[in-house]
Amino acid sequence: MYFLKEGLKNMTHNRMMTLASIGVLIAGMLLTGTAALFSMNVKLMIEEVGDSNVTSVYLKDDIKSEEDAMVIGEELNKLGNVSTVEFYSRDEAIKEYREALGEEVFANMQGDNNPLPHVFKITLSDISKYEETMAQVMSIDGVDSVGNRSEVAGKLTDLNETVTNLSFWIVIALGLISLFVISNTIRMSMYSRRFEISIMKSVGATNSFVRIPFIIEGMVIGFISGIIASVIMYFLYDVLVSALNNIFVLNAIPFMSVLVYIIVGFIVAGMAIGAVGGAISIRKHLKKEGKEVLNW
Amino acid sequence: MIEFIGVSKAFPEGNHAVENINLKIEDGEFVFIVGPSGAGKSTMLKLIMREEVPSSGKVIVNGRDLTKMKRRQVPYLRRTMGIVFQDFRLIDKMTVFENVAFAMRVIGAKQSEIKKRVMAVLDLVGLEEMASRHPSELSGGEQQRVSLARALVNKPSLIIADEPTGNIDPKRSYEIMKILKEINKMGTTVLVVTHEHTLVNQIPGRVIVLKDGEIVKDTAQEYYAQREKEERKSQAEISRFEESADTQQENIGADEEINGSEENEN
Repeated sequence: MYFLKEGLKNMTHNRMMTLASIGVLIAGMLLTGTAALFSMNVKLMIEEVGDSNVTSVYLKDDIKSEEDAMVIGEELNKLGNVSTVEFYSRDEAIKEYREALGEEVFANMQGDNNPLPHVFKITLSDISKYEETMAQVMSIDGVDSVGNRSEVAGKLTDLNETVTNLSFWIVIALGLISLFVISNTIRMSMYSRRFEISIMKSVGATNSFVRIPFIIEGMVIGFISGIIASVIMYFLYDVLVSALNNIFVLNAIPFMSVLVYIIVGFIVAGMAIGAVGGAISIRKHLKKEGKEVLNW
Repeated sequence: MIEFIGVSKAFPEGNHAVENINLKIEDGEFVFIVGPSGAGKSTMLKLIMREEVPSSGKVIVNGRDLTKMKRRQVPYLRRTMGIVFQDFRLIDKMTVFENVAFAMRVIGAKQSEIKKRVMAVLDLVGLEEMASRHPSELSGGEQQRVSLARALVNKPSLIIADEPTGNIDPKRSYEIMKILKEINKMGTTVLVVTHEHTLVNQIPGRVIVLKDGEIVKDTAQEYYAQREKEERKSQAEISRFEESADTQQENIGADEEINGSEENEN
């Protein structure tokens, strides 16, 4: 109780520095949290995409009418390894684009001005014969190209790796900055209490007794940062999910299902950084203080 | 008991050094350390508190060689000492009571114990009624008494006072010294660094004079002789008391009577 009280007292001594530490910690946590959630969602996406063996068959641009397209559809249906064929007309496609991206851009791309081709979505019964089947599909007259969603999956994996690598370094950097700012905050509160510390040392307080309130100060800063970061993360997550939805429509991981991990993770990380930051600065100070108890 | 064996301490700046100090201070002594500034007085105190470690020689306090003491044992050594500073070193945010209690709190004393003990020492220094005041509301002499109370609160066997009267007027200085003398009579060793010769002359005690880091005078012999004389005197008083008690109440055992007379003395 004594320690907690002293720790809290320290925080109010240097309000600006305390706020700065909390700010930096929150920034670090949000970045880590965003990166982690992003990565989790992208992984989920990759699984979804990779699992489905749906392949898009794009028809040549000169096949404009749906009737012509249907002929090719028949041929696709005749192929042994193709289990389902689903038609996806260029009109449907442009409509979806329009809905997703805005009326204006696609306003004059209707009817004959539509740049998109007709698409068939086919599923294969045996995905291991993928290459063979695709060769057969390509040989059908009027088929322009086949697009596999595994390409999307590959791109997502690349993106995920980039984000993971980048965020790893940024998180490390922000972690170090947080540590630096926190230890400076605590150094300042130690400085403002150096008189009391010198009295404590002169009456025989052990170093750990002197140290504990400052470590608690760091942990409280970490705790507060963790709480605030969790709340901000909750709102930020919506933004993140809608950003991801631009890449690929997915069922995002609901925030509530990871809520506990986020909160616990943030708080534990914050408190750990706070404690370490406090310990670093007091260690230096106590060594010096040993020579300056009396200030003679 | 404090013992310096061939202690030298040099500083890079060259000041405040001490040179080949040999000294023995027995439990219960009242010692003045005097000398001009820079003579090494404070260095001696720092060596006793293990603020400093000697360049050569040994400092032994209560049978423990401080030169071999580990860092983490230093706080426990300091708990056997009470330190009084020239500038009082009181925390003005805290009341007088809290200032004294602070010294107990930081070594982990229980709240109930703190309450009892703090009031007792404030009573001893005559500041019971000032307990809820803040240091800035007190006079210099009173502040120094608070500082003294804080030094005493953990029942140290040694009181170290560094120029305790340096910041207060002569009349109040004498009061502080009288309290120190009282504490000494209860068995606590008292070490006072001062340059006020009037005080040294007013209060009987052993005087160690330092100059340029060396002991140039030590009145140990006179001090011991004087103490012995006083002891003999009080011993004589005790036996006189015993005799009279014997004649009055022949049935009471001798042990109990000695106990009784000791209590009277205190």
